[in-house]
Amino acid sequence: MSYVPTRGHGLIDPPLTHDELAQRITDAVEGVTTEQALGELTVHVEPDSLLAVLRTCKEELACEMLADLSGVHWPAGDHVIERQSSTTGWPSYRVSRDRGVIEVLYIVRSASRNHRLRVAVGTDDTDPVLPSATGIYPTANYHEREVYDFFGVRFEGHPDLTRILMPDDWIGHPHRKDYPLGGVDVDYKHDKYIPPPDERDLREVID
Amino acid sequence: MAVDPNVESSLSDDALELFVEGADWESVVDAVEDDTLTVNMGPQHPSTHGVLRLVLNLDGEVVTKLTPIIGYLHTGIEKNAEYRTWVQGTTFFTRMDYLAPLYNEAAYSLGVEQLLGIDIPKRAEVVRVILLEFNRIASHLVWLATGGMELGSTTMMTFGFREREHILDLFESQSGLRMNHAYIRPGGLAQDVTSDFVERCESLLELLPRKIADYEDLLLKNPIWNDRLRGVGIIDEQTCYEYGVTGPLLRAAGVPWDLRKAEPCLGYDEYDFEVPTETAADSFARFLVRIAEMRESMGIIRQALDRLPDGPVMVADKRIAWPSQQALGPDGIGNDPEYIRHIMGESMESLINHFKLVTQGFTVPAGQVYVPLESPRGELGYAITSTGTNKPYRVHVREPSFVNLQAADVMSRGHMVSDVVVVVASLDPVMGGVDR
Repeated sequence: MSYVPTRGHGLIDPPLTHDELAQRITDAVEGVTTEQALGELTVHVEPDSLLAVLRTCKEELACEMLADLSGVHWPAGDHVIERQSSTTGWPSYRVSRDRGVIEVLYIVRSASRNHRLRVAVGTDDTDPVLPSATGIYPTANYHEREVYDFFGVRFEGHPDLTRILMPDDWIGHPHRKDYPLGGVDVDYKHDKYIPPPDERDLREVID
Repeated sequence: MAVDPNVESSLSDDALELFVEGADWESVVDAVEDDTLTVNMGPQHPSTHGVLRLVLNLDGEVVTKLTPIIGYLHTGIEKNAEYRTWVQGTTFFTRMDYLAPLYNEAAYSLGVEQLLGIDIPKRAEVVRVILLEFNRIASHLVWLATGGMELGSTTMMTFGFREREHILDLFESQSGLRMNHAYIRPGGLAQDVTSDFVERCESLLELLPRKIADYEDLLLKNPIWNDRLRGVGIIDEQTCYEYGVTGPLLRAAGVPWDLRKAEPCLGYDEYDFEVPTETAADSFARFLVRIAEMRESMGIIRQALDRLPDGPVMVADKRIAWPSQQALGPDGIGNDPEYIRHIMGESMESLINHFKLVTQGFTVPAGQVYVPLESPRGELGYAITSTGTNKPYRVHVREPSFVNLQAADVMSRGHMVSDVVVVVASLDPVMGGVDR
């Protein structure tokens, strides 16, 4: 009926440490860098070696589940970040990029050994293309449709890459940082007509 | 039957296309040569758990393919949160999975706390555990109620919602709201629990076991309940892994996987509880698992009430801590006269700090975290990216409803149309969580 695990143990074997995981992945696939921060292991890979890393995770590191897949948009340019440094003592954080990147993050998890790691891959935001992970983890199907919907990343080899949460005829990819939150200026002072959402021309706003 | 010239066909030239105008079913049947049929179900349908639309490919009455079409409830919560402060984010994420709002608040707050590198006071931690487990029971009660209703048992529907209302009364007494509480905040709780909190919890713990026994009496040997649920919607362990299915579905397939045991947060490793599993992997096994989980949750609450310590419910760091020890005045407004006197009359610096904290919020160091929590529906994960400002750069939510819904196709293939209702009910998707 139930099991009594000791803290942090998997269902079958004890977990691999972050160092062991990083070592095994860098040994298996070339051109991979690893980073440990905030108690989590991140593996940075190039798009070419993404599937090789995911396959290594699944077949050699017992990561039978793809827990999560999400995107983050880092646009090009200098980003001056407004901060209230007077209230905190943390160091300032500045981003400067010569090309925009859409970073896609895969969280792979092992239930049998109870470890997880993050695989991070970047792709250019002007023409974002990545290989699809649906052949390795079928659950990536919905996740990749979501990332395509929100960031415009084309996953090559995906069986049905269509919008999933936004309407089919939506223009633009809403989670990109160059996509505004609103869409119309709201000015209540001068009896201005505010168009309902389906009559707004978002192309003006995005371009 | 007529062809509407105004409707442009999206099908290929040789595909058969019929427009049904009513009272012409005979001619439709004559025109269709084979038995396969594509039928739309929802989004407004009493058995689809909210605005879920299913497209069914049918061979006779047997489902050959099921395609969920989602997005009708998409509200852009993740995008909105990028334009709000870290504390305001709580009020957004609590509206995702509206049957388990406290889980969204807790997972988000845990993520922010991990980025901040702070530990919350023990009292806040224990109160969180108590409320989370009550929330799990409330969510499973709604599952029983709606699942029962979809199979024709309106008695179960009234029972489930009746007992859930008692739990929502407890939430209302502590947070002011039945749902969408925004009670769990980064750093602790919005305010301390009331003086009758323990008493209220104990009266619920006295009531609920009797009621859950009633449900078992009603359903466990009920022939209709057994016939409709047993052997329907089977998904085995390996398929669960492939589709990322977690929660009661995975446990009903025989895997004792529970994040409260695997990655304990909020001190879950200090509680003595078991992870109920079943091996049949069908809808009936999920019913048994959820009933057993409610019992385990009550055991956790009992242990938590025993160890509920005194003390603050918000971190001491004044750069982060929203003033949380406020009292409800006679005018019904939650102001603490002592606190008001302090910031208005005694300390200019405190007033400035309060003002900056409320208007600008605190900043969070740059970094990325993924925080999973075992919600009533499975692994609820918050992938948070911070760039060191007072707003989240990106928050992505791994919603168990969204991921589990993918498996509806493999679970319903080969079953009758009426079993699709059982499959979707046993998945327990909440569309607020699926569409976000």
